[in-house]
Amino acid sequence: MLKRLFAVALAVSFACTAQALAAPAPADANYFKGKTLTYIVATGAGGGYDTYGRLIARYMQKYLPGSRMLVRNVPGAGHIIGANTIYTARPDGLTFGMFNTGLIYNQLMGLPGIKFDLTKFSWLGKASDEIRVMVVSTKSGYKSIDDVLKVKGPVKFAAAGVGSAAYLDTRILDFILPIDIQTVTGFDGAEGELSMMRGEVVAATGIASSFDQFVKNKNGYYALVMSQIAHDTLPGVPQASQYVTDERGKRLLALLEALSDLGRLTAGPPGIPPDVLKVLRDAHEKAIKDPALIADAMKLNMPVKFGSGEFVTDRIKQALTQTPETVALLKQAAAAQ
Amino acid sequence: MSFEVAIAALVGLLTSPYIVMLMVIGVLVGIFMGIAPGVGGKLGLVLLIPFVYGMDPLAGAVFLLSMHAVVHTAGAVTSIVLGVPGEGATAATVLDGYAMTKKGLPGRALGASFGASLAGSISGAIFLGASLGILEPLILSFSPAEFFLLAILGITFIATLSGKSMIKGLIVGFFGLMVSFVGLDPSTGIPRFSGDLLFLWDGVDIITAILAFFAIPEMISLGVSRETFAAGVKERQNIPYSQVWQGLGDVVRHRWLVLRVSLLVAAIGVIPGLGGDAASWMAYGHTVQSSKNPETFGTGRVEGVIGAETGTCAKEGGSLLPTLFFGVPGSSGMAIMLGAFLMLGLQPGPAMLTEHLDVVWSLIWSLAVANIMCVAILLACAPWISSLAYVKTSLMVPIVLVFAILGCYIGQNAWENLVLIFFMGGLGYMFKRHDWPRAPFVIGVILGKIAEDSLLKALAIFGIEFFFRPLSLVLIAMIIGSIVFYFYRARNGKAIIAHG
Repeated sequence: MLKRLFAVALAVSFACTAQALAAPAPADANYFKGKTLTYIVATGAGGGYDTYGRLIARYMQKYLPGSRMLVRNVPGAGHIIGANTIYTARPDGLTFGMFNTGLIYNQLMGLPGIKFDLTKFSWLGKASDEIRVMVVSTKSGYKSIDDVLKVKGPVKFAAAGVGSAAYLDTRILDFILPIDIQTVTGFDGAEGELSMMRGEVVAATGIASSFDQFVKNKNGYYALVMSQIAHDTLPGVPQASQYVTDERGKRLLALLEALSDLGRLTAGPPGIPPDVLKVLRDAHEKAIKDPALIADAMKLNMPVKFGSGEFVTDRIKQALTQTPETVALLKQAAAAQ
Repeated sequence: MSFEVAIAALVGLLTSPYIVMLMVIGVLVGIFMGIAPGVGGKLGLVLLIPFVYGMDPLAGAVFLLSMHAVVHTAGAVTSIVLGVPGEGATAATVLDGYAMTKKGLPGRALGASFGASLAGSISGAIFLGASLGILEPLILSFSPAEFFLLAILGITFIATLSGKSMIKGLIVGFFGLMVSFVGLDPSTGIPRFSGDLLFLWDGVDIITAILAFFAIPEMISLGVSRETFAAGVKERQNIPYSQVWQGLGDVVRHRWLVLRVSLLVAAIGVIPGLGGDAASWMAYGHTVQSSKNPETFGTGRVEGVIGAETGTCAKEGGSLLPTLFFGVPGSSGMAIMLGAFLMLGLQPGPAMLTEHLDVVWSLIWSLAVANIMCVAILLACAPWISSLAYVKTSLMVPIVLVFAILGCYIGQNAWENLVLIFFMGGLGYMFKRHDWPRAPFVIGVILGKIAEDSLLKALAIFGIEFFFRPLSLVLIAMIIGSIVFYFYRARNGKAIIAHG
């Protein structure tokens, strides 16, 4: 009797082991059934990244049947803590999230604090463009970029904290255009706009959509778009390429433009199995293209533009493949003041 | 300012059962967030924002604002009864409020606090409504030069609140300034005192710093002494309502103080760049300085509670203005609220004044109505709340410590803050043991960063000539006046004894 029981137990355990060791079935949309996914946002609650993140998380959950998506805020150190957290998470497909594209600068320049390699993230895709522009205040009296370029002395620009992506964009602009930009740093969010309205500074750089209200209220205008091509959303705005004549400037402008193509990116840690990543990418794509998400985003004045995971992976690799000369130029631009 | 729009907004608010329900829930949540030590308004907003995602914009905004508006009112409970502040702004209430509890007068302190909070928040709301027409020129006339000088004016209060020894107060105050400079240098981006510790790159978390300096030392010394919070009164007392009414009567008796502080703080709150916590401390500092007997502050003066609480609540109205009309937050709480507004689809900007004035008035009214609801609830429970002062410390200390530590962790999801709170808590305990003042530390921590940031901007924009701007000269005169006044008082033997 005991021998029979032992034989049955042995057989069952062999069967279980064989089942465990057998190649798992490829993941599909039901892979996440009953599972809890965490969408990490590298900023505090509220604000642009958090809103985009919650929108994407809600709609991705819709296309991953049976799953539950939680949004977790991991702010600090200019998105670096959040990006580090995503990078070092377990690559089982249950953790991914969003952080600032500007971390490309951090990696290119070898700035401290980063534990990640952007080329190794498992990119799910992008949700928007981030077209960089220069906005000039109405109070300044300058009617166009040509007026600004004629100024002899320093021209004051408002910028975010030193080391931030917006600050680096401003420093690059100073380097590539024939004007002397004096960067006044420390302006968060709309504080720079307030400073322009007071007449303390003349202009600022940033993402076009963030200046929407400022321009609509006629407190300023789009003076320059930092790209080599025209954009439909900014008709009649001159491109920076018209004013950049030397090779060094063109290379930095190309870098800026590469960053403009990448906005509101969602990424998972390196090493997510390809079939699981495919499921996540499909859910991400369906979410971004969902008419209900687009309608919600429009109500919140948030532009939406889909880009696939493959597109983002490719672009990130391109952006991070810069010659040592370009990296040196970038460091020079960032340091100069 | 259109009266019809204002009245219509109030009627709309009160006749919508959904919005009234949200306000009641917001008020109850706000009371809990305020009373739980270490949680506070900012953390409350962070925790609630996910819940309002997708809500109707007005409903969501009213809900969050109702919660945020009453947190300071309720936060006075732990400041007064337990000596533990919920956040930077309510730390000023600890100085005299807790001293009153130790004298066996928690009910009077609470009554004064609730009355002052109500008066302050309604005054703030009235100020908000009245200044809608002159808003733009008012906000645009203050530049980083003025922010810097206002921060310096606040820092001069370090001397005022230094207690018996100005040297000790200055040392502690400058230690607070030093702690505020930890993080990335704003002009070079180089980490200061933070190295590779990423969680310090944005600076020491203010909630952690303040809890470490007030809550932890208080809990340690209570645990060591085994007394109840109301140490002066050995037997349990049932606090009668008459004590609470006496506190309310004190607010009426000091109505001019309430009015002065409300106007001062609402005006400071309107100016983005100084922050709400600073405004509260300036209210307390003004109360002490303007009193006939400043030497008795810190020993249980009810005016100390009234000034601090009026200031803490009046700033809410003021700081909402630049947030709504310029998208620039008037305080750190409003910075989070701004993110919530954007998430709800409310676009801050001048259009709020022209196209959405009804929404603006609804938000103003919700500040006042929420505080009326909150004060009514808290007054009804005041005697039972006061009796918390007589609960055994072996029961209360662990609960308070858990909340305080939770508050430090949840804000940034950074376990490193727990290490910081223990280290700084130990330091705070040593200060308390050896009778060094702790209030100046709070001022240093809150104002240091603002002062540095504003100074760098002012120098970059105007050069050294910024000191000669008309408004700057007025503020410099006020700073000199504040320092001279202090020395005049000290020389005449009325040394200001404000323990903290």
